[in-house]
Amino acid sequence: MTAPMEPTSQEALSIVKLEDICKTYVTGELIVPVLKGINIDVMRGEFVGILGSSGSGKSTMLNILGMLDVPTSGKYLLERQHVETLSDTELATIRNRKIGFIFQSFNLFPHLSVEQNIEVPMLYAGVPRKVRRERAIELSRQVGLGHRLGHRPTQLSGGECQRIAIARSLSNKPAFLLADEPTGNLDEKTSADIIKLFHELNASGSTIIMVTHNPALEAHFDKVIYLRDGRVSEHQNINFGGGPDVGE
Amino acid sequence: MLVSDLFRLSFHNLLLHKIRSLLTSLGVIFGVGSVISMLAVSEGAKRKALSQIEAMGIDKIIVYSKKPPLAGKDSSTSNASFTETYGLTVRDRKHIVRMDNIDHVTPVRDSRFKVMKGTKRLDLKLVGVGSEFCLDSGCHLLKGRWFKPVDFVNIRNVCVIGERVKRKMFRIGQRDIIGLSIRVGRHLFRIIGIIGNDHGTQYPELGSPNDMIYIPMRTSEAICKNYAFVREGRNAKVTIIDYDLLVVSVLDVTHIDNTAKRITAYMRKTHTETKDWGVLVPLDLLKQRERTQNIFTIVMGSIAGISLIVGGIGIMNIMLASVYERRKEIGTRRALGAQKRDILLQFLIETVFLTSLGGIIGIGVGVGISQVITIYADMPTVYEAWSIILSLLISGFVGVVFGTYPAWKAAQQNPIDVLRSE
Repeated sequence: MTAPMEPTSQEALSIVKLEDICKTYVTGELIVPVLKGINIDVMRGEFVGILGSSGSGKSTMLNILGMLDVPTSGKYLLERQHVETLSDTELATIRNRKIGFIFQSFNLFPHLSVEQNIEVPMLYAGVPRKVRRERAIELSRQVGLGHRLGHRPTQLSGGECQRIAIARSLSNKPAFLLADEPTGNLDEKTSADIIKLFHELNASGSTIIMVTHNPALEAHFDKVIYLRDGRVSEHQNINFGGGPDVGE
Repeated sequence: MLVSDLFRLSFHNLLLHKIRSLLTSLGVIFGVGSVISMLAVSEGAKRKALSQIEAMGIDKIIVYSKKPPLAGKDSSTSNASFTETYGLTVRDRKHIVRMDNIDHVTPVRDSRFKVMKGTKRLDLKLVGVGSEFCLDSGCHLLKGRWFKPVDFVNIRNVCVIGERVKRKMFRIGQRDIIGLSIRVGRHLFRIIGIIGNDHGTQYPELGSPNDMIYIPMRTSEAICKNYAFVREGRNAKVTIIDYDLLVVSVLDVTHIDNTAKRITAYMRKTHTETKDWGVLVPLDLLKQRERTQNIFTIVMGSIAGISLIVGGIGIMNIMLASVYERRKEIGTRRALGAQKRDILLQFLIETVFLTSLGGIIGIGVGVGISQVITIYADMPTVYEAWSIILSLLISGFVGVVFGTYPAWKAAQQNPIDVLRSE
């Protein structure tokens, strides 16, 4: 879907565009504004990091980006289509087809095999069994775990689990990957491997948005968005055009 | 999501927790088990009762003598009247025979002799019967023969005994009793046959045909006319009674009600003093019994149904707990693109699977319970295909009813909350 694109090309298509997104939580009489007008633009093929300390609105941002939550106001354009007004069912379909979720704690289903885990999003997309299986094999190879298809997640290490989770996120060829602190539960060495995998995917055309509190990772992103107190405090474009050395 | 995948997923989830699934469906297992066994028992009881009534014959009208409520009225106590006349008379019989739609009438008369074995009085009756009695009462010949016309004509002292008479009068080991004689009072009767009745027929005032010693009507008339001495306490009484029972066979069963009505009308007209008679139509009894049995079945079924409801509530509880326990799974599935409908169906199908499985096991349990009842309580049990199908349907239905709320609850889980709740 996302053919590798010349990084310098200016006509790079917009994948995600948030315009003046606000999110206010109302709990009883307490009104808590969490996001106060967020504007970001993620282009196809970018590796974007959203950094912020806890309480900065990072999680809310992630939920809105992942369409698990709807903004109070503002516009959300996914591949130049408005999605902020869609129904729950339509949102579920978009999450399924357009977004590849990667969680901090992997969120694999412990009683399903690796192959079955990778197949889950395809299950909800109604992909026939045979096709699912072929794609699961292909994806597991892509993340380097082709030999582990029959295993259960409990038999795998943390790093391997996250690889499977990444394979799963790719199964419906989404518009972008949305990773929530993907290295948060991993040791340094494994983290580096996972980041390396992300770079590989990015290099082969995947658009990736990674939400993290870890400033050490910012060197890896094409673009870094700093969240502070519900606002974008800095919007840095660094190394657009080539990743840093991986495996630091 | 493909339906086949949904089913596979739900089934997979159940197999994950085999013991828990089994425990959860225990309520349904025993609910269905009790439905099956209750229905089997009540159906068995129904069949038995019906066959009893049927054995009296659906083309029969039983007219019987009944001791009047206050025997001999006031006069008997003050006047110490020694005779007591009541019941069906020869005139009644002759009149009934001439009515429309009557095939034949078989009379039965109790001699009221005491049947003794040594000094012990046996609960047996010596009755004079017409030649068609064996057939009309639904009895069959076990040994020997039934009366021939010659027995009647020659007023022979022969008897045919009921099945239980043999057991009560003779030693257990005694094999061939045909040709032996039994003594009742001053009279000796040669046994020429044994008859039995498997249907549990009970005649009003007389009881089971198995407990009777039959002699030809003419013999009975010859040895004791139509009266009998009966001792009641200190009073000795003479009871004059022509017939105890008239088994009326009709020609056309469809008009049996009318015939019975006519007989009743006649009896009412001729027996004006006291109601010393009764008319019984087995067919009516059959219909009535069927109605009461149906009510019985409904009541039993309802009680069993309550246990199913309890079972269903148990399942609902476990499923609700399971929804809470699996919030992370639900949240992840929702994030990966499952729609509310997918989650709802997943949980609903799981519950229906659970209850249906419980239903299948429950059918086995129910059959087992009925077998135990049959063996130990000696009650006949009959399963019918519809009761098994009904149980299966009900158990599935219980799954739908009690699974909907937990499934809805699961579908309503907010993915943000459940993903955050790690």
